[in-house]
Amino acid sequence: MSELKPRVLIVDDEERFRMTLSKLLKVKGLDVKALGSAREALEELTDARYDVILLDVKMPEMDGVQALAEIKKRDPQLEVIMLTGHASVDVAVEIMRLGGYEYLLKPCPIEDLMDKIDAAFERKKAREERRKRVGGQAAEGGR
Amino acid sequence: MLGNRPFELKTVRHYLAPGLMMLVAVSLIPLAHPALSLLCFLAGSVSFLTIRWLHAEIRKALDQKCVLDAQLIQSQKLASIGELSSGIAHEINNPLAIIGQEVEWIRHVAKEIEAGSGLTIADMQDSVQEITRQVERCRDITHKLLDFARKKEPLIQAVDLNKLIEDMVRLVEREAKQHGIAIERHYGQNVPPVRTDGPLVRQVVLNILNNATYAIQKEGVITVTTKESEDGSADIVISDTGSGIPKEDLNKIFDPFFTTKPPGKGTGLGLSICHGIISRLGGTIAVESEVGRGTMFSIRLPGAKT
Amino acid sequence: MEDFRVLVVDDELDFLETIVKRFKRRKIRADGVSSGREALALLEQEHFDVVILDVRMPGMDGIETLKEIKRKRPLMEVILLTGHASVESGMQGMQLGAFDYVMKPAEFEELLEKVQQAYERKSLHEEKIRESKIIV
Ligand SMILES: Nc1ncnc2c1ncn2[C@@H]1O[C@H](COP(=O)(O)OP(=O)(O)OP(=O)(O)O)[C@@H](O)[C@H]1O
Ligand SMILES: [Mg+2]
Repeated sequence: MSELKPRVLIVDDEERFRMTLSKLLKVKGLDVKALGSAREALEELTDARYDVILLDVKMPEMDGVQALAEIKKRDPQLEVIMLTGHASVDVAVEIMRLGGYEYLLKPCPIEDLMDKIDAAFERKKAREERRKRVGGQAAEGGR
Repeated sequence: MLGNRPFELKTVRHYLAPGLMMLVAVSLIPLAHPALSLLCFLAGSVSFLTIRWLHAEIRKALDQKCVLDAQLIQSQKLASIGELSSGIAHEINNPLAIIGQEVEWIRHVAKEIEAGSGLTIADMQDSVQEITRQVERCRDITHKLLDFARKKEPLIQAVDLNKLIEDMVRLVEREAKQHGIAIERHYGQNVPPVRTDGPLVRQVVLNILNNATYAIQKEGVITVTTKESEDGSADIVISDTGSGIPKEDLNKIFDPFFTTKPPGKGTGLGLSICHGIISRLGGTIAVESEVGRGTMFSIRLPGAKT
Repeated sequence: MEDFRVLVVDDELDFLETIVKRFKRRKIRADGVSSGREALALLEQEHFDVVILDVRMPGMDGIETLKEIKRKRPLMEVILLTGHASVESGMQGMQLGAFDYVMKPAEFEELLEKVQQAYERKSLHEEKIRESKIIV
């Protein structure tokens, strides 16, 4: 693959989870950074560019759904994959409403996660392509 | 459930009043005029029938209420099972996710070893240890849950409450001292022997003391008070000068799995187990707290003999 | 009331001997073993009412032993003994159904009182089960 690697940001308060996940994704050739809280992530996003964010739903202080709202407010184009230990319809609905791109139940096979990251990255690239062609006019209506 | 009670009372009263009035009227008639005995007999039969009918109506109302109660209890049960299982799912899925990843990493290392990249078995060691740790974490959760579900029937014995508490205080005190935490005792002089389940109360006291030391972290005071209240029950009050609990969390701390400890450090089952135990013993447990100042747990146990 | 059997489990042999002797002096039938495994083996063969169990032992520790005892003999009452108070093991022990916790050096009178309470509890428990069987 000669294309650019996706830059991935993992946000999860469970230290061992984010550490091993970033090791695994790095081995698969991705560019990864891992942080332990939503606040750190928002700070990081003010001056660094990422393609895909992996965001844990249940975190103390600012949880994943709140963080998602904030991220989407700043940059609606950013792809976010939500990770959670349990599927709750309420949370899923809220995530969809906020335009979270994907929703993944922990534990999941690494292949599934890779598929989702690839898909999210493809989607982001396609969107940027289209925007270039259209010439930046007409900000896409959501999805 | 409470919503049904007024309904029941109203129904009974509604039918009872006319029935009673009729009975009084019927018994007064013969006094007023002996010649009206035939009428009296008729009235008596009518009132008998009325009462029969009344009885049936009340039965029907009560049956209905029972059905409603059963439904309500069942739906409450379902709701709490739903809540509990989503809690369990979450708490178990997180360690499972970590285990899955460590296995993935071990696979990767194995492949590298096969390919002769210089990695060795030692590079798996850390992952294996982590898996053991996470299995331990899952086991802790399931064991506490079982404990929670087992609903041990209390066994009631005479218990010297001050002695019981002092034993648990001493168990905590040494570690507390190392963190600069002092424990002050205010044991009531004449707290009578309480008839309760000693081991269960010990478990509660220990849990609350442990929470208090955790909330203080370093430098602070835990105060333990016992006293007899007017109605013969015994009060245990454990307060600390720790972090305090934010208002919005106060009504969640007794919920299963509610914890503010970092992942893997607390199950959030401690206080819900305590709450279950105290209710089973017929007592109450309450909390007051202010962020930055501290927290106070008050337990009232029935069965103090005077 | 005095007619019950106590099993003391501790790897510190001096302590073990003294305690067993003191129980016997009070006409309480007591035996001592020095490891969790021996304790479990003996419990398989003979009837006891109360077990006094040291938490810190090499090999199978007190908490593991407690778990096994409660699994095989749920009605057995167990009193935990410890040299240094550890809150962690204390919480675990109480949660696993230990009757009480005594810190070493334990005053014998105190230990005796707890053993008696533990035995009373076991009798209550057995009585309750008998009653419920009659009702059923
Ligand atoms: N004394 C206290 N001061 C401040 N907060 C407290 C205190 N006691 C309990 N809490 C709060 O209530 C939460 C739930 O307590 P609980 O004992 O149920 O679980 P835990 O202590 O978090 O976990 P575990 O008991 O499994 O170690 C705690 O995480 C904490 O936020
Ligand atoms: Mg706790």
